[in-house]
Amino acid sequence: MSSPLTLEDVLAQSDTKLLSELPEKELVRLYWKYRGLTKTLERDTSFWNSTNENLKVAYDKLDEKERELAAAYHIIREDLEVAQSVQNALLPRMFATMASELELSVYHKQLTEVGGDYFDYFRTASDRYAIGVFDISGHGVSSALVMAYLKAQFMTIMERLEDPAEIVEWVNKASFEFLREVRKYATVNFATFAEDKLTYVCGGGYGLLLAKNGEEYSFEKRNHFLGLRQKPYVETELPFVVGDLLVLYTDGMVEAQNAEGTDYSVARLNGLVRKNRDLSTDDIVRLCVEDYQSFRVQDSDDITLLVARKTS
Amino acid sequence: MNEGIVSPMDEMQVHGALMVGFAQACVNLNIVAGHDATSFIKGLQINDWYPLSQWEKLQELVVRSYGNVDPIMVKVGIAMMTGWYHFGPGKGIVKKGISFLHFQTGSGGFASVVRGPESVVGSFELEQFDKSRGLAVVHSTTPFNRKMECGVLIGGMAAPGDIDYIDVRNDEDPDRLLVEFH
Repeated sequence: MSSPLTLEDVLAQSDTKLLSELPEKELVRLYWKYRGLTKTLERDTSFWNSTNENLKVAYDKLDEKERELAAAYHIIREDLEVAQSVQNALLPRMFATMASELELSVYHKQLTEVGGDYFDYFRTASDRYAIGVFDISGHGVSSALVMAYLKAQFMTIMERLEDPAEIVEWVNKASFEFLREVRKYATVNFATFAEDKLTYVCGGGYGLLLAKNGEEYSFEKRNHFLGLRQKPYVETELPFVVGDLLVLYTDGMVEAQNAEGTDYSVARLNGLVRKNRDLSTDDIVRLCVEDYQSFRVQDSDDITLLVARKTS
Repeated sequence: MNEGIVSPMDEMQVHGALMVGFAQACVNLNIVAGHDATSFIKGLQINDWYPLSQWEKLQELVVRSYGNVDPIMVKVGIAMMTGWYHFGPGKGIVKKGISFLHFQTGSGGFASVVRGPESVVGSFELEQFDKSRGLAVVHSTTPFNRKMECGVLIGGMAAPGDIDYIDVRNDEDPDRLLVEFH
């Protein structure tokens, strides 16, 4: 004698025709099974509705945070734009003595809105002029603030001293504690100009003098960075007469790399200047920048390239 | 300051198995407290006892995250008992869905996973049971979330798979859990 058909038998055989053969007890079970599934569905729906509601609240909160972030970013952008215009205003203009003796062009680009590359023109105690190119460690706002600080130090001492070594040493002494405290240092490439010579102090950075007579001088890095130690600076004198070309730059260009990881290099930049030495300083700078930009994948540092020719 | 004086609530302790079950359910359901629960669960020992405040801290993680937390707590209760039955000792203890109702309200159930003064621990008692009508009433005075307790009963009774319909409500009196089963 076969056992009575159960709900499980019908489900196992997937045959709805068997439903009519189910005993009443199993039909009641079918009813409750259906009610049970409906109840489970109801609970699951409530669960997911609550979860969805929670997600919606989370998204609303996220939107609110995004708006707050956007507002904060907007304020930071505005501040940076102001800082950029302040830093640009700190960049120098040639004064009369200088403009009458030099043809000068500069390419200067900070990696971000503000940065730590700094160049400047100064009037000396004897009404001659000086040029400084500096690279403050790091990038961004902190380096820009140090730049402003160093500028103030140079402005304080320039009209009281004449020798570049003395000037740089004074600035180093005056800035030393501050630079240590803010954990910054700066390369220094500083030259004063007399009738037919220049005297430089080089502690980092690059300098190249191409004399019209064919002589060539690379600036010797005989000194330490500003803020690194308190030792006297030494200066070097070079002839600088009409037609001579002086190139000063920071490491921003020469250390940038192409897709293969090769540096743009001092050799490539100096070679390009050498090859185009007879062009105007504007053209020399333009060619160098074009060549650099076609070489590098992206800028990785602040950049300063200054080219000056003695004209009278 | 009342340093050194332990409040009656602090005297109640919850068994690690219950703590882990709750935290694990939160993780499995991916509810908001999931990540917090994951880090919380790491330090829990299944055989240790924890002060009720620890449990409440974990429960608060869930409660504060949801506008409508009731369906979540029901689901957590179900998930806890599903885990207990399929991955814990449940299968060896409870053979039928209805047995769970008796087990949970007896000495081996709720009473075995909490300890402390009776006034704080409360009770979880089967007040009425009518198998033929498929109705039961459980009276709960525990400090636990009632919706979670509804879920615990649903999950525990459903786990053996022999009951076609289970519903547990506490609509009128939150402390009376009306159980319907068929």
